Amino acid sequence: MAGDEQMTVVIQNVGKIFETRTRDPVIALDDISFEIQKGEFIAILGPSGCGKTTLLRMIAGLDTPTTGSILVEGKPVTGPDPRLAMIFQEYSLYPWRTVRANVAFGLQMRGMEKEERNRITDRFIRLVGLDGFADSYPYELSGGMRQRVAVARALATDPAVLLMDEPFGALDAQTRNRMQKELLEIWESARKTVVFVTHSVDEAVYLADRIIVLSPRPGRLSAIYDVSFSRPRDRTSVEFASLRRDVLELIDHLEESQ
Amino acid sequence: MKQIMLVSLAVLLGLTLLVAGCVDEAPVQPPNGVTDVGIMYTATGQMPVLLSTGQIDGYMVWQPFVSVAEVSGIGTVVSYSQDLPPAGTWTDHTCDALSAREDFIAANPDLVNAIAALLILSGDYVQENPDRAAEVSADWLFGGGDMTFGDVRVSSKDVLAHSIPTIRFSTEPSEEWLQSNDRFIEALRDIGYLTGGLKDASPAEVRDSLYDFSHYEAAVAMVEAGEIVTPPKRTRPMSLGYLPSDHDAPLFVAIKDWEYFNDTFGIALKPRTTAPGKVDVADLIVNGETITEVRLVQGEGGAQLMTLMGTDAIQMSYAGTPPTISAVDRGMAIKILLPTQNEGSGLVVAASAPVDDWNSFIAWADARSAEGRPLRIAAPIRGSIQDVQIKYALQDSGVVVKEV
Amino acid sequence: MRWYLKLLPPLFLLLIWEVASILINNPFILPTPASVISVLMTPSADILGSGSIIDNALLSIWRVILGFGLAVLCAVPAGIIIGRYRTIDELLNPLIQLLRPIPPLAWVPLALAWFKIGLASIVFIIFIGSFFPVLINTIDGVRRVNRTWIETALIYGAKGWKLLVYVIIPAAAPAVWTGLRVGFGVAWMCVVAAEMLPGTTSGLGYLIMYSYNWGQVPVIIAGMIVIGIIGIGADLLFRGVEKRKFQWQEMNR
Repeated sequence: MAGDEQMTVVIQNVGKIFETRTRDPVIALDDISFEIQKGEFIAILGPSGCGKTTLLRMIAGLDTPTTGSILVEGKPVTGPDPRLAMIFQEYSLYPWRTVRANVAFGLQMRGMEKEERNRITDRFIRLVGLDGFADSYPYELSGGMRQRVAVARALATDPAVLLMDEPFGALDAQTRNRMQKELLEIWESARKTVVFVTHSVDEAVYLADRIIVLSPRPGRLSAIYDVSFSRPRDRTSVEFASLRRDVLELIDHLEESQ
Repeated sequence: MKQIMLVSLAVLLGLTLLVAGCVDEAPVQPPNGVTDVGIMYTATGQMPVLLSTGQIDGYMVWQPFVSVAEVSGIGTVVSYSQDLPPAGTWTDHTCDALSAREDFIAANPDLVNAIAALLILSGDYVQENPDRAAEVSADWLFGGGDMTFGDVRVSSKDVLAHSIPTIRFSTEPSEEWLQSNDRFIEALRDIGYLTGGLKDASPAEVRDSLYDFSHYEAAVAMVEAGEIVTPPKRTRPMSLGYLPSDHDAPLFVAIKDWEYFNDTFGIALKPRTTAPGKVDVADLIVNGETITEVRLVQGEGGAQLMTLMGTDAIQMSYAGTPPTISAVDRGMAIKILLPTQNEGSGLVVAASAPVDDWNSFIAWADARSAEGRPLRIAAPIRGSIQDVQIKYALQDSGVVVKEV
Repeated sequence: MRWYLKLLPPLFLLLIWEVASILINNPFILPTPASVISVLMTPSADILGSGSIIDNALLSIWRVILGFGLAVLCAVPAGIIIGRYRTIDELLNPLIQLLRPIPPLAWVPLALAWFKIGLASIVFIIFIGSFFPVLINTIDGVRRVNRTWIETALIYGAKGWKLLVYVIIPAAAPAVWTGLRVGFGVAWMCVVAAEMLPGTTSGLGYLIMYSYNWGQVPVIIAGMIVIGIIGIGADLLFRGVEKRKFQWQEMNR
């Protein structure tokens, strides 16, 4: 089909059922379908228990869908892969490795030579603004700095898609806002496809091109919002507030009818 | 903080006083006209300590612990084992013997003869040179240093010099010795300690099971002829077990004064190290030829040496006849080759006791029993020679023996 | 805490000992610290014809290193495999739990029967004592490796042995190191049991048993103190390395 090559990620009728030992099976996701274009910044938004993390993990290849399929760049996802780089909320870095060694991890696993590795890691360390910290250890860095290292590590392997699971959830509000801004700057220079899971409406509206809202238990696609206003976005602007109100209303409604 | 420290100091002091207070004599019993004496089984190394802290009134044990008491002043010797009543019963009584596994004897008859000969020669040597034997034993067992018992310090050389002359180093399986063993076996039967092959055996059967004196006889012949037959060389080393006691002095001098034996008789156990103290490995040399490596294994007791012989960890051992007899009773295929040493045990009482011989000892036992505080005498394991002797001697003197 | 403050409890104990020995006034019950210290002050003098304290200590240390080293070589790889593969863990766990509480001393007769008299049986006792702490800590360390770290590795293409070498082993290393520290401590405690094997005529454990057989109490206590000091020394060494190489453990996330 024309335009398919442009679709970096295709989610087709994906469902996920978890077997439990004591209760009935849990339907986490039910018949989700959508597509993501190359270079798009997508936010997956929803209240807790809507399966957004499960969906992200399935794109990453860490879990498999019970029904449906997931295609990345036209090929089905069969398992974890550096093309689908995922950044977690916590425990993202290896504490026994320096910043540089962490960033180089994917490259090292690929078998790249040390010199070339260093070139690439230097570039990305600089990109995320951690020049001079290359030989520091994660325990010496703040939460925000650690997540920046995680981003550098993910980008270093030149992935097709960047998957982020509430990466700023553990940070304080100010750091969080700052990180969102910096993420956008990095994204704009690297132009990767990003799938960003969050439960913060504010964050989704600030960052994304499109917001996919899931309903809770079972997780179904409830709505997709286009966020067409340009970046950098002003959180105090009318259009920002208006969209945020709409989305919030939807989510409240979804939570109540649970 | 200060308060915590003071409280813990007080608690610790309280505990130590409690422990100190626990060291007192046995509870008082009402007198009943019969003299009681209690026999208590303890480790030999502990006996001097127990005696000087008043937890026991005396002990019956093998040398050199008898001499330790006398030389250090902790105790007085009441009687050496051979002089215990009934009179004449214990003369030349059995103690240690050389034994070996039957399969080892069968495979190495000449070697066994040679070793028997060496021990006959070194036994005579010890008997004739008690000072040298004491010196060597003190060196082997104690590095020649001082023994400390509390604040009492004695030179191990002095202790051993006192001890060696009280032991009779004899290798002759005389009729007295054999009868001594028979009496001892009777005693073991009475106690119920023989439950296997020797339990219902006739005296002739017992002698057949226990002894193989052919090698003793061969050895004596070689010694008299002045020539030791060179045994065939062995490639595998052999192991000889022994106990840390001066009863084993013949073994010690055979090794430490090996040059004398080599030059004079053409047989020696040459140690691999010239360092002072105990020797772990030696080479048996006969007529100038190295026959076999001999590993010397120090055991903790006769019973342990028997177990080691049973598993072929050692092939020969220099140990007491009681555990050897028990081992044969249980079916172990070993034989006693010759005695190595007789007598050498004794009864010791606290230095403060009004005792200097057996009769005054019994008088003291009577007095204490009448007071309701019967004597407590320590002995090594139940069924040992010392245990059997002291019980018989006491019973012979009309004392009722209880185990406590 | 200032280092000299840590010396206070032992000094305090020494004071109690001195006071107690004076109060009890019976050196057979409690020898004075002075008599024990005089044994310790001449560590190169021969004791009971069995060599000096230093010589015997070195020998015991050597034996422990052999036994402990062997235990580590066996237990760490085994622990990694058991920790990694659930089915193997479930299969072997009952056996491990059965053997673990058996005190090394109980193995002495078997050690003698299997390995005969000599170094092998001594090393075996020490081996069996230290094997289980190392094994169990390794299994635990491997099992508790953070799932996110493993998933990150999978994402970046580290599977199989690469996952093991680059993620699991470094992640489990602090737990394994703790296992080594504890295991060495146990190995060192086994030295008395191990040197009770017949045919042993050297080592700190042997000195203690031999002097027990002759009632030489100051030597027994001196031997105990030396064993304690070496034990502390080893523990401090392990902890020192832990502090320097595993500083990253402080990090929670």
